[in-house]
Amino acid sequence: MITHEEIETLIRTALPDAAVETRDRTGTRDHYNICVRSREFSGKPLLDQHRMIYEALGGALKDGRLHAIELRTEVKDVS
Amino acid sequence: MTKDLKSQIADEIEGHTIVVYGKGTKQAPRCGFTLETVQFFSDLGYPFEVIDVLSDMEKREALSEMTNWPTLPKVFINGKFYGDTDILAPMLESGELQRVLGEAFATAPSG
Repeated sequence: MITHEEIETLIRTALPDAAVETRDRTGTRDHYNICVRSREFSGKPLLDQHRMIYEALGGALKDGRLHAIELRTEVKDVS
Repeated sequence: MTKDLKSQIADEIEGHTIVVYGKGTKQAPRCGFTLETVQFFSDLGYPFEVIDVLSDMEKREALSEMTNWPTLPKVFINGKFYGDTDILAPMLESGELQRVLGEAFATAPSG
């Protein structure tokens, strides 16, 4: 089990400007829809954008706090 | 990673234009994401191969190491790694996937 705040903290440690939205898909706090917007994604292929998030969440995925995620990444507008 | 496992994976992704490494089989997926991927490619109408690695931890580790991608399913098209449906769905929306598949099947020797 993991909270929205914990997910956000893990992602922001890697990507400080990240805007993180999560949705608990199963009500069990271990299956999440996660949407991340960051300027760090700019110019990077989608595959690498997702790799950055998997890496940031690596510990939680490995120890089972987070079982499965559906992931969406978007480049944050520079404005 | 053992050499045998490496060459086994190489043979699999060279032998089929679309390969999905997942949990369970095409007929009986044993994970929601594998099911979603099977449906995704069924809807597209191209032939695809599902390889069950649910209980093969050694092969799963080899695949993760090869792709630098921690989760299943893992999709390969024409030998190239494309991630999962979180990557493929946006590609379908932008039309890029249709182009990739069109090219893959134009040059592919087999389904």
